[in-house]
Amino acid sequence: MADSHIFVLPNSGHNFDAKASKMGMWLFLFTELLLFGGLFLVYMIYRFLNQDAFLLASFELNVWMGTINTIVLLTSSMTIAMAITALQKGNAKLAITLSWLTILAALGFLVIKYFEWSSKFEHGLFPGMDHFDGLPLGERLYFYLYFFMTGLHALHVIVGGVFIAVVIRLIKKGKVTKERYSLLENSGLYWHLVDLIWIYLFPLFYLIH
Amino acid sequence: MNGKEKNTENTSAHAHISSYSEHFGTWVALILLTLMTVFISTFGADLRTLTVATAMLIATVKALAVALYFMHLKYDAKIYTAWMIVVMALFVFFLIMVILDYITR
Repeated sequence: MADSHIFVLPNSGHNFDAKASKMGMWLFLFTELLLFGGLFLVYMIYRFLNQDAFLLASFELNVWMGTINTIVLLTSSMTIAMAITALQKGNAKLAITLSWLTILAALGFLVIKYFEWSSKFEHGLFPGMDHFDGLPLGERLYFYLYFFMTGLHALHVIVGGVFIAVVIRLIKKGKVTKERYSLLENSGLYWHLVDLIWIYLFPLFYLIH
Repeated sequence: MNGKEKNTENTSAHAHISSYSEHFGTWVALILLTLMTVFISTFGADLRTLTVATAMLIATVKALAVALYFMHLKYDAKIYTAWMIVVMALFVFFLIMVILDYITR
């Protein structure tokens, strides 16, 4: 009775469960998929109702910038996947280098995105600008969806980059290692999700021809 | 170290380690599919609906490659794949309901 008030978890001091943390990550990723899934449904309906306007508005986007960004993201997905392989094989140094390359690609993606958005602003193509407000409804809907969906995606790129940067720090501190690589793996999963969403965004916004 | 070797010292994590060459191969396939979809849309067919379907098909093949190889679903416990299928089925269900709603108005 004396020590009945002390409750000790069965696994105290060893609160590390790779399987559970991975499952948690996947569950979170599913909510992300459904978040973007809802947006894709909105896109589908408005495109169906405004086919010609969507086609016309899509000509404002630069297919080549979109293509380069797609390649940048796919490459970064490969580097983070390789970083996990490197850490699993015990090569922490290579894992850190590959993770940095992923962050570099994330920054590259955002810089290209910045140039793309700036050129839209210069042409007055942003909600609230005079030129934009004068456009037909269909074209405005296209740009509302374009800015919202690529903007939300860019936000995920930033979060993914920060997540990977935190993991790099933890690898350096020896907290994420060959035996405990869950966090790197989860940051990788998140990064691949960002890639996965872009795989659909790219043809839907850039390749309407 | 062999890529297919079992990692027995750590039972809480999964056993399979993907090789660098497998990741590189996946990347090559993804890049080729990207160039293909851009090429088809920019220089390709006149049939608009057909190009949309082709673009979505190619995107889905790419998404599967990312999920199976980069996200490791192919080698992980089947529970993750099962979940993924359930979530995709849920999305398709929403999709069908929304389409039915619009075509019956």
